[in-house]
Amino acid sequence: MKYLAQRLVRAILLFVGVSVLCFLFTELAPGSFFDEMRLNPQVSPETIAQLQAQYGLNQPLAVRYARWARSVARGDFGYSLAYNQPVAPLLWERAKNTLLLTCTATLFTWLIGLPLGIWTAAARGKLLDRFMAIVSSFLLSIPEIVIAIALLALAVRTRIVPVGGMMSLGYEDLSGLAKVRDISLHLLLPASILVLGSVAIIERHVRASVLEVLDAPCIQSARGLGIGKVRLLFRHVLPLAANPAISLFGFSLAGLLGGSLLVEVVTGWPGLGPLILDATLARDLYVVIGAVMLSALFMIGGNVVADLLLLACDPRIRAGEADAA
Amino acid sequence: MRRKAAMRLLVAALIVLHLAILLAGFIAPYDPAAQNREFAYAPPTRVRFFDASGFHWRPFVYAISADFNGVHQDRSQKYPLHFFLRGENYKVLGVITTNLHFFGVERQGRIFLFGTDAYGRDEFSRLLYGGQISLAAGLLATFITLFAAAIIGTVSGYYGKFVDESLMGSAELFLCLPWFYFLVGVRAFLPLHLSPASTFLLLISVIGLIGWARPARLIRGVVLSARNRNYVLAARGFGASNFYLLRRHVAPETFGVLLTQAALLVPQYVAAEAVLSFFGLGIAEPVPSWGNMLSTLQQYNVLVSYYWLLAPALALVITSVTYWVLADTIHHWLQSHSI
Amino acid sequence: MVGSSGSGKSTVARCVTRLERPDAGEIWLGETDIARLKAAEIRPFRSAIQMIFQDPVTSMNPRMSAAEVIEEPLLIQGRGTREDRRANCAELMEKVQLSAGWLDRRITEFSGGQRQRIAIARALTLRPKVLVLDEALSGLDISTQAEVAELLQELQAAYSLTYLFISHDLPLVARMADWIAVMSAGKIVEQGPVREIISNPKHPETQKLVGAAAHFGAALAKAQGASA
Repeated sequence: MKYLAQRLVRAILLFVGVSVLCFLFTELAPGSFFDEMRLNPQVSPETIAQLQAQYGLNQPLAVRYARWARSVARGDFGYSLAYNQPVAPLLWERAKNTLLLTCTATLFTWLIGLPLGIWTAAARGKLLDRFMAIVSSFLLSIPEIVIAIALLALAVRTRIVPVGGMMSLGYEDLSGLAKVRDISLHLLLPASILVLGSVAIIERHVRASVLEVLDAPCIQSARGLGIGKVRLLFRHVLPLAANPAISLFGFSLAGLLGGSLLVEVVTGWPGLGPLILDATLARDLYVVIGAVMLSALFMIGGNVVADLLLLACDPRIRAGEADAA
Repeated sequence: MRRKAAMRLLVAALIVLHLAILLAGFIAPYDPAAQNREFAYAPPTRVRFFDASGFHWRPFVYAISADFNGVHQDRSQKYPLHFFLRGENYKVLGVITTNLHFFGVERQGRIFLFGTDAYGRDEFSRLLYGGQISLAAGLLATFITLFAAAIIGTVSGYYGKFVDESLMGSAELFLCLPWFYFLVGVRAFLPLHLSPASTFLLLISVIGLIGWARPARLIRGVVLSARNRNYVLAARGFGASNFYLLRRHVAPETFGVLLTQAALLVPQYVAAEAVLSFFGLGIAEPVPSWGNMLSTLQQYNVLVSYYWLLAPALALVITSVTYWVLADTIHHWLQSHSI
Repeated sequence: MVGSSGSGKSTVARCVTRLERPDAGEIWLGETDIARLKAAEIRPFRSAIQMIFQDPVTSMNPRMSAAEVIEEPLLIQGRGTREDRRANCAELMEKVQLSAGWLDRRITEFSGGQRQRIAIARALTLRPKVLVLDEALSGLDISTQAEVAELLQELQAAYSLTYLFISHDLPLVARMADWIAVMSAGKIVEQGPVREIISNPKHPETQKLVGAAAHFGAALAKAQGASA
């Protein structure tokens, strides 16, 4: 319990720290939303000043931060200058899509990476293992933008999956099941890009932790006792290798969230990514901060989940708890 | 031993790559800004050794002509390839003006090794010149990051306690921020339209200053364990000052980490520049960079029909893979050498 | 100084060499109490007391050569020219019965026993008056122990050194020491001349140590007697 409380407090502090950092960065920047407007001769300086006052942009820094923090607490997350509405609904709409993409990608990354990692560990040194090592090295070294463009080019030229957006035209007219199918087809491209980018990392980590366990004395003695390979794998090796894998799961979730932004923009998936990019180009201050905060929240959340899972599964941490109590 | 040989090979490959890009003016046949509007979207010119009359030692290309259907080869005219010929002027390192080019064809002919873009600019030349920008950005940003990380990590690991906690706390803060969001966000709120030089400096500062956290943590770990070694304690017993200990015993331990991190960060930062420029937040036209060259691929018809414009992606892959394998090799070499 | 593990022997060693600051108490080196001195004040005394660590592997930077290790104290204290330091290294190398021709070899090329000799040479560089040997022979194998112990006794005579020999190995202590202090749970529970303490241990801790050593000694003697 104490550990849990500690972690939560730390997470909250981190979140506040992130908010301050974000705010400072955006505020210290010389540009503003009204720069474009100023260039427009039809808009008078008085109007601009009035708008600035309306949005409270002419107040000192601390006051603006306080107002924004209050807005966050209220649930509004500030006010969008471009869309002329509170930021929160905008964020939430897009966040749902980002979460859908990220969770799907995480699921498949692990569905592929976990068995692959175990298999290559079990077949250490053999042809499969060495082949996978080369493939994973290659995948790891390629920057995500290249994977994105490559798969995009492939998809566009072969027309296997629909490219761009989340739904086809005429989506509303489809039946329930067809709707799901439509979204899934659109999900395929961005999810594949994300999966290709991260499956190698998962495979390597799983392989490493399984190997570590395989070399452990307790497993060696089990083999000496003549326990069969399959039984050995499932009842002895995997439970021991589970710990690092579980904490990795939490971190991979967090990491994929960060990586999804690029993929969303390139494939046109309507998530937080395109939102933050458009808001950035339009200098819509509070939308940008809100989106950054939200993704930071997801990442911090992912880390906390990882820690909690570890706490639940690792008896050593629980024992440490008991000692401290 | 095999590792060392592999490392030498990789370093050599990287040197060749960087040299080729540094000598962009020499190797590129054309000026990157020179437009040939009539030859927009020309496919790569094939270099040939065989023709109707058989094999020729000197390679040649056919002339190209443009019409409504696009750019085609005109087999009636041949242009042999010349090496070390005089072409357009360019500057070496911005100072020396010369016009010697590695290869090319006579003025009437065109050799577009990687085709042309929407304005008829030679993609191959732009690739080389763009590489100057992209690689320079990656290398400089890496330098900034590692400089900051080395100082912060060393101070944090060596002096410990409050300094350590606060520095590592802020590192954790930075690590929480999804880098791309942060990058875009920070870049956004700086003036969008600056001179190319200012943009470049801004770009490398932003990219460089965001990534200090992870290397700083690694260096801190190394410094922390080095600080507690018995031989450091013994040197203290001889009356050594902190400065001596840091210089003689602690700093050398960090070189391995710094080297590996450098090899890992350079390709990441080159990719970061590419991403920013891809979205129009980085280097702006007409200065080429691998990122802004790729941004034309955001148009559907370009992506489908003009595959040669993917060349910068290939360049990114080659750079990234080479650096990554180097990093991996260094990492294993260091591990096998640690006593 | 003898005692079982955790009795505080190493802490005493670190305090005496001022690698750690004692919370309370006094440490008299000649006429001066060095326990309370500040960092700047202690500098001149640093050359008077030196320490030899237990593990010869971790007590020296593996990237350095033997010469660099031995001359380091002089370098830190800023004494002498490069030639002086080199000459000093050669002299000490010979004194610890290693060839001066090996001066430029890396530390990693030496065996445990040889490294400990180099550690001794390094400690002697500043011509100290006191050497603290914190389990310095415990990490070596038996035959090497005997050789290094003999070397230590020769050096003591040659350089008029005072040794603070910390160990849990009673027979070794019996051979090398004049005076024994027995530590238990952070306190010295008994001390006196070697012969007296061993033949007539009064404190239960001392009796335990002497008894255990005697037990093994008797078994060894019996085995030797049986084979003769």
